[in-house]
Amino acid sequence: MATAVTTRDKRVAELNVISRKQRSLWGDAWYRLIRNRGALVGLVVIAFAALIAIFSDFNVLGIHIKLAPYDPRELNGPKQLMEPIWTKLFGSKFTDPAYIFGSDELGRDILSRLMYSSRVSLIIGFVPVSIVLAIGITVGMLAGYVGGVVDDFLMRVTDVVYAFPDLLFVIIIVATLRGTGLGDAFDGLLVIFVGIAVVNWVGVARLVRGQVLATKNREFVEAARSIGAGPGRIMRKHIFPNILAPVIVTAAFAIPGAMLTEAVLSFLGIGIRPPTPTWGVMINEGFIVFSTTPWPVLLPSLCISLVLLAFTFVGDGLRDALDPRSKM
Amino acid sequence: MLRYVIRRLLLVIPTMFFVALITFTLAHMAPGSPFDLNANRPLSQATIDRINRYYGVDKPIPEQFVIYMGNLLKGDLGTSFTRQRPVVDIIGQGIGTTFQLGLGALAFALAFSIPLGIVSALKQNTIVDYLSMLVATIGTTIPGFVIAIFLIYIFGVSLHLLPFVGWGSWQHMVMPIFVLSLGAGGFLTRITRASMLEAIRQDYVRTARSKGLHERAVIVGHALKNALIPVATIIGPATAGLITGSFIIETLFNVPGMGRLYIISIGQRDYPVIMATTLLYAFLIMIANLTVDIMYGVLDPRIKVR
Repeated sequence: MATAVTTRDKRVAELNVISRKQRSLWGDAWYRLIRNRGALVGLVVIAFAALIAIFSDFNVLGIHIKLAPYDPRELNGPKQLMEPIWTKLFGSKFTDPAYIFGSDELGRDILSRLMYSSRVSLIIGFVPVSIVLAIGITVGMLAGYVGGVVDDFLMRVTDVVYAFPDLLFVIIIVATLRGTGLGDAFDGLLVIFVGIAVVNWVGVARLVRGQVLATKNREFVEAARSIGAGPGRIMRKHIFPNILAPVIVTAAFAIPGAMLTEAVLSFLGIGIRPPTPTWGVMINEGFIVFSTTPWPVLLPSLCISLVLLAFTFVGDGLRDALDPRSKM
Repeated sequence: MLRYVIRRLLLVIPTMFFVALITFTLAHMAPGSPFDLNANRPLSQATIDRINRYYGVDKPIPEQFVIYMGNLLKGDLGTSFTRQRPVVDIIGQGIGTTFQLGLGALAFALAFSIPLGIVSALKQNTIVDYLSMLVATIGTTIPGFVIAIFLIYIFGVSLHLLPFVGWGSWQHMVMPIFVLSLGAGGFLTRITRASMLEAIRQDYVRTARSKGLHERAVIVGHALKNALIPVATIIGPATAGLITGSFIIETLFNVPGMGRLYIISIGQRDYPVIMATTLLYAFLIMIANLTVDIMYGVLDPRIKVR
């Protein structure tokens, strides 16, 4: 009798342990991700940047929140090149409490410009990468699963695109389309989307193709086929979820890559058109006065470094979380 | 093996053709001609027609492309539209500087990344490891031009230690080479660390230890030798990346190399220079990729190339 009770207690305890530890695969990955300190800090920084981007000037459904103290394009002649207020402690005479981070060579408020810049950066980070994923996954799945013409086409395109230096190809595309309607749309934003998408979809398609080839002859796919699932269903329900992990990791690294491309283009003066502020544009414009006042260049440089580092830490964390075997 | 190499070499030809076709079409589709630069002194239509005829840009684009490719096969890259000199001369002038910059950066990157990667693998999960991984992450993540800006501010503007415009003396080379090496160096550090970590867990390393070899001999003679295979194969694309990636650094530091020339030519719509530089870059990248794939087969007999 006594033994029976103890075994039942043991069994209950065992069940408790099991039920507490139960998590889905994705839940498990998420748990591993937020336990990674670097990734957590990265997520916080990204969330902060996103909040700033949204609420720098938020006006939806009658709710108006405006964090940015000034219009980022508002000129103030007499207040040119004010230095940030903390430089007062080191003896700077050119500060103004109204301009916390100082002002640039046209008297525009640097803080407001930094805040608005985060918008463009995040849009550049997410929109072209979504386009790249959509095209890359579709072509890659078709090439891997169906093969044939799509596969041949993909492989030939890959040869050509891999031979182009990425950034130079984007530069050619952007510079070429600059004078056209496409180049002028949204202050040059659209043509950067196109440039990034054209250059980057091939990498994703190649990755997806390889993954599909490795997956499509596995037992579970065969099982699905044997009970009569069509190719569309097999691709969507059986193969896609299984190749998602490396795609997510690639996307996580593609986001800072796209942001960097915009910054480089704008820094070279062929990206986003002034006066629309982005960090790259600010660096480009501030460079003229760099040896007099470094702040209009240093502050956006700092912002872009922080955001890119944040995304990289999250990407590293995601890779470790989704593929615990990789040691890179 | 030989068949594989020959097939890859033959594939270079159609790829180069398509690179040329795409670049040519894009460059010529762009609105604006190289000769409408001076808005204050507009040229008469007759003059524009004459100039266009002289440079052959009045013909339809497909015809121009055929003529260009014909000349290219004869080794004639044409004449620059804005500099009135053969493109070969102009590129010849810049390429030396770009190679100096790129190879200098490669040497520096290798010199710091391989020891750093080895040390952090051997001291995995210690403060040394974390610090060198942080350095590597910063190197690969923060764009070169941003790091360059901080360095220019510290060493150029504030301390007046190093010049930051131009090229020539060793002082001019310090900052551009350092900045350019960081990206590739960070990447190489991570690769070295990862492959070293894998190597020291292999059976042959355990065997070497168990037969009583010195730790030093185990690490250098057995683990390192194998760990460096992936690193060696990365050096090819890293070099291509350094040579092609230098154009931002060249623009920033006013280094008279190919990258700066490329950016200027795009602004001026100098088609022959754009074409020649793009083709040269593409060729370098393809050769680098090819070298890697062949190196893999030679260095690591476990891998069978087809």
